[in-house]
Amino acid sequence: MATVNLRRTPLFDSHTALRARMVGFGGFEMPVQYAGVLREHDAVRRRAGLFDLSHMAQFVLRGAEIGEWADRLTVNDVASMRPWQARYNLFCSESGGTHDDVIFYRQDEDEWLLVVNASNARKMWGILQAHRRAGIEIENHHGSHALIAIQGPRSVATVERLVAPADRESIIAMRYYFCARTIVAGIPVLMARTGYTGEDGFELFVPNDDAVALWDALLEAGVSHGIEPCGLGARDVLRLEAGMPLYGHELEEDISPLQAGLGWAVKFGKPSFEGKVALEAQRVADDYARIVGFTLEGRAPQPRMGYRVFSRDRDVGEVRSGAVGIGTALIDPSVSKIGSQVEIEIRDRRWPATVVKLPFYKRAK
Amino acid sequence: MASPANLLYSKEHEWLKMDGDVATVGITDYAQSSLGDIVYVELPKVGAKFDQFGNVGVVESVKAVSDLFTPIGGEVTEVNKAIDADPSLVNREPFSGGWLFKLKVSDRSQESPLLSATDYDKLTA
Repeated sequence: MATVNLRRTPLFDSHTALRARMVGFGGFEMPVQYAGVLREHDAVRRRAGLFDLSHMAQFVLRGAEIGEWADRLTVNDVASMRPWQARYNLFCSESGGTHDDVIFYRQDEDEWLLVVNASNARKMWGILQAHRRAGIEIENHHGSHALIAIQGPRSVATVERLVAPADRESIIAMRYYFCARTIVAGIPVLMARTGYTGEDGFELFVPNDDAVALWDALLEAGVSHGIEPCGLGARDVLRLEAGMPLYGHELEEDISPLQAGLGWAVKFGKPSFEGKVALEAQRVADDYARIVGFTLEGRAPQPRMGYRVFSRDRDVGEVRSGAVGIGTALIDPSVSKIGSQVEIEIRDRRWPATVVKLPFYKRAK
Repeated sequence: MASPANLLYSKEHEWLKMDGDVATVGITDYAQSSLGDIVYVELPKVGAKFDQFGNVGVVESVKAVSDLFTPIGGEVTEVNKAIDADPSLVNREPFSGGWLFKLKVSDRSQESPLLSATDYDKLTA
């Protein structure tokens, strides 16, 4: 473990000054918690939380044919995106498994930002390079560009005063899954109304050199709104409650978007795309193991990745994510209906669980 | 938080308080702080007998499952039921309200390998 060379984000010193506990994640040394996971989770649900997500990889795509090119590599629509729109998408293999789940941000007609998971950055860079052709330009900003997210009901109030006056109204009015170039605290940023917590908020993309000034400005502006710096621990609970998949858990090379409940993002109407044939066959057969949400009754240990799931004495699958009283599991379709009763084996005991509809948490609009 | 001087400590971050031949056991402030938010504690059954440093249960935080050991051998006479209802008590009051279980100790010479508060704080400094 000690021999692993972890990279640092430009905010490393800010995290240690805030007494964060640092862990290795996706090749970077990242804050897992500051004051505590539950307190940070609470801040995001009730007020605002600030996240350093600079470990995620940013690839800039340029060219007049990016939309058509990416449409063949991904399951969702890309070319139909309007400038300044963002869209969730997945890259699949020929067998229908998932290479990565990503977000495309269209910045203008010919420039796009693609954000991929840190743990898949190298693999995804390789895939993009392998498919590169004339007229497709790809620039790797992984490690040179930072990503800071502010999430929670007080996010708008926190950023409002920092946004350049001329843009203020349009930024506040910006819709979910859109983005814009603007100035925040004097710093030019790409600002998107996206996130991974189930709350309102923004994600801000800047070159590394601007990261500390932006982080400090957001943290200071958020003081009166009860903002907390938040680590990966809180982020994992927030995204799980919001029913959002995490690569390596609900998605994998051998878990397809259909299995993960992301069929809405697979556009079978597209003429052809990587994995289409396999995914169509899977859809027709409809006999695949799938990701479900479950709840545990009463006081029970926390379900965790790899715990087995049973129906009577039949092993029907395994837990993929867990938090207190809730989790996701990849299970046999025969027990995947809402309301199905199953058991989670935790150490030497089995605990009753109920299959429930995802997400566990949906904010009031 | 400095560790209370009237307790004995194990290198596995449990504390022990002797009262006659009954030992009260908990985990230290250092342990609860390292674990983070504690969400579940699996305590031993009353009547169960354990050797010194035996595995008696589990402490779960949001991110990890950690084994719980007893710093001294004996028979469990009582467990802290308040922990079941509110595991965060271990985070808030590791040395008092967050105690975990009590043991009837058969061999008090087992106290000798345990650490004083000063030595334990040096270990975790």
